[in-house]
Parts: sequence; C-alpha cells; structure tokens
Amino acid sequence: MTEFIEKIGKASMNATATFRDILFFAFTILARIFQKKTYNSAMKMVLVNQIYFTSVQILPLFTVLSIILGSLLIGIVLQIIKNLGLAEYLGRILMGLVVTEISPFVTVLLVALRSSSAMNAEIAVMKVNKELRTLDTYNIDVIDYLFVPRIINGVVSVLLLSALFSILALTSGMIFSKLIFGMSFDVYTNVLLKSADIYDIDIYLIKCCIFGFFITLIPIRSGLSASDDLTSIPIAVLQGMVKVFIAIIFIEVLSLILISL
Amino acid sequence: MLKKTEFKVGLFVVITSVLIVASIAYLAYSKGLFTREHTFTLSSTTGEDLSEGMPVLFSGYRIGRVGKLELNDKGILLITIRVPEPHDQWIRSNSTFSLYKPLIGSSRLIVTTNDLSSPSLSPGTIREITIINDINETIKKVQPTLEKINEVVTNIERITGNLADPQGDVNRILRNTETLTANLSKKETFIEMATGNPESAKSVNESLKKVKDILVKTDEQLYGDDGTLPLIRKILKDIIVKLEKLNAALDNVVKISADASDSTKDFKLLRAEIDSTVTSIAKLVKDLDKILPSKKEPEIKLP
Repeated sequence: MTEFIEKIGKASMNATATFRDILFFAFTILARIFQKKTYNSAMKMVLVNQIYFTSVQILPLFTVLSIILGSLLIGIVLQIIKNLGLAEYLGRILMGLVVTEISPFVTVLLVALRSSSAMNAEIAVMKVNKELRTLDTYNIDVIDYLFVPRIINGVVSVLLLSALFSILALTSGMIFSKLIFGMSFDVYTNVLLKSADIYDIDIYLIKCCIFGFFITLIPIRSGLSASDDLTSIPIAVLQGMVKVFIAIIFIEVLSLILISL
Repeated sequence: MLKKTEFKVGLFVVITSVLIVASIAYLAYSKGLFTREHTFTLSSTTGEDLSEGMPVLFSGYRIGRVGKLELNDKGILLITIRVPEPHDQWIRSNSTFSLYKPLIGSSRLIVTTNDLSSPSLSPGTIREITIINDINETIKKVQPTLEKINEVVTNIERITGNLADPQGDVNRILRNTETLTANLSKKETFIEMATGNPESAKSVNESLKKVKDILVKTDEQLYGDDGTLPLIRKILKDIIVKLEKLNAALDNVVKISADASDSTKDFKLLRAEIDSTVTSIAKLVKDLDKILPSKKEPEIKLP
C-alpha cells in the first residue's frame, strides 16, 4: 500500500517537474525569440530550411488531405444539420466547429506526426552523438541556432497550414452546401460572414500559435533529455510524443473553456 | 539549391499570409470595423433586460448596438448606443427610443422616427427610453379573463359546496320536491294537494260544471238557428243590397248634374248668339234709318 502511494507520489512529482521544466524552457525560448541578436544569418537559414521541410514539402499532401478531410467533414456536418433541421445554424457550426476547432486540431496532428517526431529524434541523436556539445565548444548558441528556428517554424507552419486547411474546407463546404441545401455561393458567403466573429478569429490565431509553439518545444526538450546511450533515443521520442499529444489535448480544452467564457 | 528553397518558402509564406490577411480584412470590413461610429446617449430608470451589445433596430433592421451601460451620479442608467456612419441618418431629433421586451426572444432597442426631415440628434442630447413589455401587456389582456374564470370557479365551488352541504339550498329543494311528489302520490287531485281540503276540491269541481253548462247555453244563443249571430248576418246582407241600390241612384244624380252643367254652357252660347243678333238688328235699323229717313232733312252721302 505504502509502495503504491509512493509510486503515485513519485509520478506526481515527476509530472510536476516535467511541467515546470517545460515551462522554464518555454520562457527561455520566448526570451530568445524577442531578442534581436537571435536573428543572425545562420539562424535565418535554418528557419527557412525548417519551414521548407515542415510546410512546403508537405504542401501537396496537406492540400489533398485538406480537401478530402474537409469535404468529408463538411459533408457529414451538413448532412447532420439537414437531418436535425438546424440549417439556420449552418454558419455558426461551420465557423465554430470547422474553422475554430477542427482545422487547427487536424493541422497540429499532421505536423506533430510528421515534424515533431522528426525533431525529437534529431535532437536526441545530436545529443547522443555529442553534436550539441561540439556546437557549444565552437561557441555556437544551440538555442539560437537549433531551437528558436524550429520553434518559430512550428508557430508559422501551424498558423499558415491551419489557415490553408480552413480555406480549403470552407471552399469544399461551398460546393457541398450547393449540393445538399441548394444554397447559392452568395448566400453561403453571407451566412459565413454573419456568423464569423473577430473574437473567434483572435482565439483561433492564438490557439494556432500556442499549438505550434508547444508541439516543437516539447519534442526538443524531450530530445535533450536523452542520455549518451543510443537506446535512449526511442525512449526520448516516445516520451516526447506522448507529452506532445497531452499538450495538444490540454491546449484544446483550455481554448474551449476560454471561448465559452 | 538554397535560393530555390528560399523562393519556395517565401512564396508559401507570402501566399498563405496574404490569404489570411485578406480574409481577416474582408471579415473586418463586412463587420463594419473600419466604418466611423456615432454615439448617442439614452437614459432609463432601470437597467433590467439591457445589456452591452444589444441590437438597436430601425424598421426591424439592425442599425447599431448598445455600447456601454453606466449609472450617473443621480442613479439614472445612461445607455451609450453606437451607430455606424450610414445608419446614423435614421436617428433624428424627434426620434423615440423604446426597449422592446418580447414574450419570447431577447430584448432589443427600437428607434422610431416619424419625420426624417427633422434635424439630426445631437450627440450631447440624452433621450429617455420607453419600455414596451410584451409580458406585462399579455398579463393585462389576460387579467380580466382570469378574474372571470376566478368568479366562475368561485361559483362552481359554491354550487359544489351547496351540493355537498346537507342543509344547503339544493338539498333542501330536493327534499321539498320529494315531499311534494310524496304528497302528490297521496292526494287525488292537485287542487286537493294545494288547498289541503277535499271539500274545496269538490266545490271547485261543481263550479266548473256550472260554468260548462252556462257556456253550452251561451253557445246555443249565439250560434243556434235562431241565434243572435245568424240574425245579424241576415241584416247585414239586406244592408248590402240596399247600399248597392243607393249607389246606382247616386250615379244617376251625378249624371244629371253633369248634364245640367253642359246645359248652362249651351245657355251661354245662346245668349252670345242672341247678343250678336240684337247687335245685327240694331245695325240693320240704323242702316234702314239711314235709307228711310225719318228725319226732316235727310243727308245722303255718296260713296
């Protein structure tokens, strides 16, 4: 019994320590992001490369996925709206559900699956191979050179890709509303505009930024926690990805609470 | 290679950023975020059902919203309404503002302007709002009906109470009816029951028989062969015959008088002829006198 309680206590302490560690790391990174000297040519080059790998390379796949997922989602939502006789809430449901909730969530999941795991493994490998120590030896700031570009890339990529997803989903919604409700494009646009609120857009943008920040920050921090042993790499990636998904759920719930206030 | 990557990343960032900015700008423009707003201040003694963001309607169309609610130093609620540029034209100096509280749905501020040519309402003017409450209006309308229903219910309650009460009116009437029917079953006639004396019933019966005999005799006197009514009928027939004869005689009299009238006309004519003859004779005598002179020195004039 005592051992069980000790285990719970240990797990709680570890969770608190991890949370505190991530928050501390987040503040360090944030401080660097707002420092002008961080933005040197080497950092900019890494940033461009990161955006290229995370957003541009994924673009064809993301576009196709967005159209398929968006159409499917909008089709299901519109069909349910029609069956329940909630056509008057069409705009509110599309703006509130698809734009503010689904598109950041789907985007962040795709980016996390493709890029976060890669970043986590990359940093863990660099740690194991002592590349980070080497960079430090050459007086190269790893936070400026490695971490800040990746985290800014996360914010920019999630924000832009999520917006793209929303635009594509709403465009496919236009076609579906025409097919299901016989609604003209003008009426559809007016319904969306009437339901759209600047406050919702603000929440959406902030949420995207927070998502992008944490789905890159947590894998980097988790990669740094790898030991010198090669076997610690998969453990670091696994732990990092679990933390990423917990963070995604946590941010999503927090944003829902904020919107409902 | 790096330049190519930079170009691709740049293109992606620029296009998606432009799309986001354009969407937000279009949304902001559609929501009237860039249009100039005019503020007007209203007052109310109560802030009940008033809230910030509440719509301001003119002719059922949303022209603005309630911006701010605050109390002044006299405890009166000041309501600041915000109306965007093109819609402020509907708010004039003679506009009235009312808070409409519908039975179902949220409250709204309604602007009514009877004369659109009157000057604009100056921003410094504080106008009081009137309250239109559908619930109170409905209660007012329903109140008389409810009072009537209440009366009916009271009456029903009284009736049922009366019915339930053994000493009540209804039960007493029922008992009386029962006694009455019991008495009726015991007595031979209704008169006997009413008077309570069998002798009185007999005397009433005898009187009725006498009345019947009198009626039979009267009938014979009136309608019998030698009765009064056939005699009157005969006399009337004679009178009718005589009247017909009298009528013919009167016709003759009328005819005679008409003839007499015609004769007087002839007399007039005859007289006129006689007058004419006398005049002619006088003329002839005069001529003869001229021809056969009776005078001593006749004088004949030649033509």
